[in-house]
Amino acid sequence: MEYEFHAHRITGGIGADDRFWESLEEGEFRLPRCADCKQWMWPAHFRCGHCGSWEQLWEPVEMSGRIYSWTRAHYAFDRTKERAEDVPYVVVVAELPGADGARVVGALAGPDSGVRCGVEVRGHIDPPSAKSKGYPAVRWSVVD
Amino acid sequence: MVNTMLRGTTAVVGVSDTPWYKRGTSGEPALKLVLRAIVSAAEDAGVDPSEIDGFVSYGSERNDGQRMMPALGTKELRFGALVWTHGGGIPGALGLAATAIVTGQANVVVVYRAMSEYRGRRLRVDVAQDDTSPQHLVNGLDSPAQLCALRSMRLIEAEGVPARTLRDMALASYHHARRNPRAIGRDTELDAETYEESRWVSEPYHLFDCSRENDAGSAVILVSAERAKDLKQKPAYLLGAPMGAASGWGMREESGNPYWSAGFQGVADRLWADTGYGPGDVDVAQIYENMTGMGVSALIEHGFCTPEGAGEFVTFDNLIAPNGGLPINTSGGNLAEGFIHGMSLVGEAVRQIRGTSTNQVPDANLSLMTGGPGDPVVSTALFASAAAL
Ligand SMILES: [Zn+2]
Repeated sequence: MEYEFHAHRITGGIGADDRFWESLEEGEFRLPRCADCKQWMWPAHFRCGHCGSWEQLWEPVEMSGRIYSWTRAHYAFDRTKERAEDVPYVVVVAELPGADGARVVGALAGPDSGVRCGVEVRGHIDPPSAKSKGYPAVRWSVVD
Repeated sequence: MVNTMLRGTTAVVGVSDTPWYKRGTSGEPALKLVLRAIVSAAEDAGVDPSEIDGFVSYGSERNDGQRMMPALGTKELRFGALVWTHGGGIPGALGLAATAIVTGQANVVVVYRAMSEYRGRRLRVDVAQDDTSPQHLVNGLDSPAQLCALRSMRLIEAEGVPARTLRDMALASYHHARRNPRAIGRDTELDAETYEESRWVSEPYHLFDCSRENDAGSAVILVSAERAKDLKQKPAYLLGAPMGAASGWGMREESGNPYWSAGFQGVADRLWADTGYGPGDVDVAQIYENMTGMGVSALIEHGFCTPEGAGEFVTFDNLIAPNGGLPINTSGGNLAEGFIHGMSLVGEAVRQIRGTSTNQVPDANLSLMTGGPGDPVVSTALFASAAAL
């Protein structure tokens, strides 16, 4: 599959996460880990601050964890106008035990009544769309 | 150990804000607004604007000293710098100005910020500096209100800090604005019911939890403590203004620790160590509140209370002048006076030392100003009267 997000590149942040988005476009959820000391490093960076290695492994991680925090947005701000029709919508920060507690953001899919810190969530991947600014996107759903 | 090089060796001697305009209505670009603020701060201090030889700002400020020289009649520009990153950098800008003075690089340094939507961008976009990560924007997170909301939600649901503390921060700011004729929110009678019924912006934030966007300019002038004695105003001595980020902080998107932090872990400890004072000594505080909940986190990290004790400390009665235990945001702050990226909080911290606030705290000798909370790097400053040097 041809990478879509490269054509819509968002330039803010650290900028070492291309492989994350490429993996999502391939339908796989992968997070970076130091190739030498095996420390998980998310958000992705260019060098491991623990051991100094410049090499990363992008390992498949189970899309399963708990809500670390969340917010229900009641307003579509300037750069996320694509979501105006979804307002109010919930965005979740999920903590993933499969990657030493790395926290990965995703918009909630499904009912939002049970949303609370500590609640179990499962993830899936949405293909690139206008709503996610041309990027593929992680979605979290509350586990009943 | 007390930092003897910076403690009390410089002072703020001039302060000024332009009037506050609803965003986009000033009819003047930011450069003209900041010139007005700087000239007026110089008049306040009793120095000629042409004598200003140092220029320090922060965030997305683009009105650099070299651009203002022709209009100020600058005799010589000797020092200029922009401090990282966003509003977290304000006290750090004061600290850098002080460093320039005590090391003999400059004599009269202005610290300033101006914003205007007249010929400018939407202020909240400008302030973000195009530095929001894909992980945020892709998933519907854009505004600082949303990013701060995530942290405050954790503070409430996992740390057990009552949501009511956010409301009381807002009520205290709006209460103070009622007595400040310059405050843009002076006519808003905010009570608990109006707050609770106001619309949500991003839970747990209501409309009244969020700072404003205004066209305005704001400036303060620093000189050496020695020079300050000969000028017009009662000096507000700078005791300390550390900046920084602890090891779990910095730019970590949603994986920083502690997550509810405003960024002051270690930085606040250094403020107390540098100045020889502690939270219990502070008479009045200007707590940068882009959003109320981040102000609560800043209070906790400065040691005014623990997360467990926040419900007891962060109450309306305790936060208001003149008799609260810690009156905060006595001009109305970013919520109710107006917002120029937090800069006007410095002026109010100084007015408390001078004794000229519209919500004056009696005998205020130690005045705190904390920088923009939640920034990947932050800073915090303590001012003193001569009596507290
Ligand atoms: Zn390593």
